[in-house]
Amino acid sequence: EDAERGATADLAVVEARRRMLDEWLAWRASVDEEVEEERLDLGLPKDPVEGLVETPNDGEEQVIE
Amino acid sequence: MRPILLSGHERALTQIKFNPDGDLLFSTAKDQQICAWFSHNGERLGTYKGHQGAIWTVDVDPTSTMIASGSADNTIRLWEIKTGKCLKTWEFPTAVKRVEFTPDGRRLLGVTEKRMGHLGSIVVLPIELSVDAEQSDERDMTIVCDQSKATVAGWSYLSKYIIAGHEDGSVSQYDGKTGELIDNVPIHELDMAVTDLQWSADRTYFITASKDKTARLMAARDLELLKTYVSDTPLNSACITPKKDYVILGGGQAAMDVTTTAARQGKFEARFYHMIFEDEIGRVRGHFGPLNTVAAAPNGKSYASGGEDGYVRVHHFDKGYFDFKYEVERERENRL
Repeated sequence: EDAERGATADLAVVEARRRMLDEWLAWRASVDEEVEEERLDLGLPKDPVEGLVETPNDGEEQVIE
Repeated sequence: MRPILLSGHERALTQIKFNPDGDLLFSTAKDQQICAWFSHNGERLGTYKGHQGAIWTVDVDPTSTMIASGSADNTIRLWEIKTGKCLKTWEFPTAVKRVEFTPDGRRLLGVTEKRMGHLGSIVVLPIELSVDAEQSDERDMTIVCDQSKATVAGWSYLSKYIIAGHEDGSVSQYDGKTGELIDNVPIHELDMAVTDLQWSADRTYFITASKDKTARLMAARDLELLKTYVSDTPLNSACITPKKDYVILGGGQAAMDVTTTAARQGKFEARFYHMIFEDEIGRVRGHFGPLNTVAAAPNGKSYASGGEDGYVRVHHFDKGYFDFKYEVERERENRL
């Protein structure tokens, strides 16, 4: 009986997690869509750094062992 | 997950920042110098000298050309990463507790301290992302915090909002262009200061840490409270890990505030929580004092912590970290 109760509890926990994950992904999707719209409205590039001044030695920033 | 111990600071760490590639790490401490390190092996790349007081904060511009720092000497300084040259110094009436570049690096905000005769403020400076450019003395904007002083602040996605955490435990949303206060939400316990505010990779949500022993995940667009992480110690710092849905919390009580037994229980650990499920999933020990700052590398491969003990510890995640998944996460992946 105890094991059964335990199993029910686990099921409840898993259910709760499943719900949290669904809610999270739904929230992410709505934010992604909203931000993408705003970005396009503002005419901003996808990468915020795009079009910024190229530093002359950009390639040398790489760390070479 | 064997740590790399970086010993170069002589006093308590205040902030750690990775550059966007995650190959460099910048650290500030109360010892008046900024250190730059290679994150993969912990070798010191160099130091940036010039501040005349404790340094509270550092940030890297998105092109990894410059860093900005804020100090108890009442200045913000801009430095060339490669040469260590100080490119600009801005002076303020009080200490600067936090700096952050906009996502495009064209502006920098600074949080100034409140002191007799001076209200706390958030100043915004225009930045020319070239080491040869003349930096302007003029401010773009000044937000005066006449309710509760700001302790931390940062820029949201598209630089649309400035989000600030306050001494009274509340979080504010300001318009990123006009500085107008849009909303203020008492999110942490009253008068339990917000000690840190760090962003998700896309800056649509952020995590706050507080002395009230909790960290909160909030949405930038409407300050909706998304998640709460409950710990058993006052928190100084919290960050969100890219690639995996975790958050890392750091804190601990200063030695003079704890009894010996509590100290022996070792609360000086980085705590990992699942970002979505809010469960604590692990702890990493190592520091001999409170963790003042934690930071996750933008490439998701490592994290670093800086302690009151003067050490920076860099941890490169191992396979187990990346493989770990909740049953419901696997289930969903299999469905896709």
